[in-house]
Amino acid sequence: MEPQKNPQVAVVQIPPPRFKGGDLSDNALAFWLMLPAALLLGGLFLYPLVTVFWSSFHVQKLLEPGLGEPFNGIKNFVEMVGDFRFRGALWNTLYLGVLTVAGSFLVGIPIALIANQPGRFRALARVALLLPWAMPPVFSALMFAWMFNGDYGVFNAWLTSLGLEAKRWLVTPSLAVFAFCVVTIWKTSSFVGLLTLSGLQGVPKDILEAAEVDGASKWQSFWRVLLPLLAPALSVALIFRTLSALQVFDIPYALTSGGPDRALETLGILIYRTIFESYDFGASSALCVTLFALGLAITFFYVRFVRGD
Amino acid sequence: MEAAEELRKEPFSAKFWRSLGLIALVLGGFFPLVWTILTSLKSETELQTKPITYLPHIWKWDNYVQVFQAKPFLNFFLNSLITSSVSTILCVIIAAMAAYPLARLNIKNKGLIMSSVVVFSMIPVIAMMVPLYKIMTHFSLINTYPALILPYTALSLPVAILTLTAFFTSIPSELESAAMVDGCSKVGALRKIILPLALPGLVTAGILVFVNSWNEFLLALSLNTRLEMRTVSVGVTLYQGEFAFPFALMSAAITIAMIPIIILIIVFQKRIVSGLTAGSVKG
Repeated sequence: MEPQKNPQVAVVQIPPPRFKGGDLSDNALAFWLMLPAALLLGGLFLYPLVTVFWSSFHVQKLLEPGLGEPFNGIKNFVEMVGDFRFRGALWNTLYLGVLTVAGSFLVGIPIALIANQPGRFRALARVALLLPWAMPPVFSALMFAWMFNGDYGVFNAWLTSLGLEAKRWLVTPSLAVFAFCVVTIWKTSSFVGLLTLSGLQGVPKDILEAAEVDGASKWQSFWRVLLPLLAPALSVALIFRTLSALQVFDIPYALTSGGPDRALETLGILIYRTIFESYDFGASSALCVTLFALGLAITFFYVRFVRGD
Repeated sequence: MEAAEELRKEPFSAKFWRSLGLIALVLGGFFPLVWTILTSLKSETELQTKPITYLPHIWKWDNYVQVFQAKPFLNFFLNSLITSSVSTILCVIIAAMAAYPLARLNIKNKGLIMSSVVVFSMIPVIAMMVPLYKIMTHFSLINTYPALILPYTALSLPVAILTLTAFFTSIPSELESAAMVDGCSKVGALRKIILPLALPGLVTAGILVFVNSWNEFLLALSLNTRLEMRTVSVGVTLYQGEFAFPFALMSAAITIAMIPIIILIIVFQKRIVSGLTAGSVKG
């Protein structure tokens, strides 16, 4: 490290920073720094994705090795679309997704506004908001499964003490859907709340004060001023929430194993069952490709038409 | 002080609604865990009596001993701790290396690289399950730590890269220029100037990765199937027998498995909230 001969000249040169001493070019340095990430993502994301694509167009039945693995055209997809279980799972995934994503925003935004209030209990509120987000989805499902228990669950105890009838929550399809939505919204509104909360920290206080001075009601300043400012954070939350709702597996698996009567059989559950019940990897891969394409399509739609960029 | 004054000049009704909201948030957020802790301290017979009890009649601390005797819970816990910690360290280092050129260097195809990172984060984990199983079998890694550590590192890489790219971008580049004046190389500037300033970002990214790995269920369920190699997220579900559902034991297991997560969010609550903005709003 030789000393700079003329520091002033160096300062003038700042805009395109030129580092001294046999450095690699930017592109070469970038290549070496990104190589480990590229290898990991390539080997453990891209390669699996390519093999799943390949399998989805081939026969691949583990239980019938005599068939070999011949090219199968789009037959796996044709059979998939013809299967009532696929259509049921697709429908379940979509409508449970709409219910839980909408629910997580309806709950998540208000709890972020509450947790953002100054006061003595701010830290406590923040931990209450973070807890469901940080908890394994499986744990949330198991905790609620016990609270929704038909005989000894605390929710039925509250219902009976109000003079209402106890319900068979996890055994009746429509009630299981309700229970699933409660667990999922409890768990995921915390994520929406978290992103909203971090969005709120970037909102300058004087803007809201200016709105108040201009005579806007709290309600107006929320809709007209705050919400547009939060839009970037909320649109990111919407994309992430939608993707995780499409892929949902842990909660229905731990809550009712997809039952009762397939009420909670989502695409994720159906793929898992296709893999472990029939060992038909051609069929399961077709489902995986469909799930991935669905996520891509919806995200593309959001980015193109909702965010407008 | 300012906040306190604001609270004082507020009308009573606003104060009332504000407190009510706060109480609802705190009760709603904590109740399931509190109920689980209470359940973990009751006996199975007490859990199966009507009307149900709220506080345990007899505090059955023995459940916490039983958890370790009925299943190898110590293994579950240590397995989770090892896979989550190692994947966190690996992921943060690799993501920091990838994020630095994205934030700082003048390279080709930056936009393309960023978009492919985002697309990677959209691949369903369940689509990778069978191929990953084949890869791990091929390298004889099934039922070893790397079988989970490698996929967990890869799974969190996209979000860690996005978070850290945003963090590095937010550090003023004049500081690097200053380092240049002092005769630092690019790598030297990264090590001496950028890394210390980005430490908060590295911590946030680390927390996100750790939580992801600790909570992961699907790959843990299908890749490491030997009982002693299970992680807590799967291990907790293994207490249920064919007919019996020992909720007290499962609750005790959940409570223990939540301890690292609870410590993390209490210690780093501010970090997590401010760190997420940077990472996700970017994408």
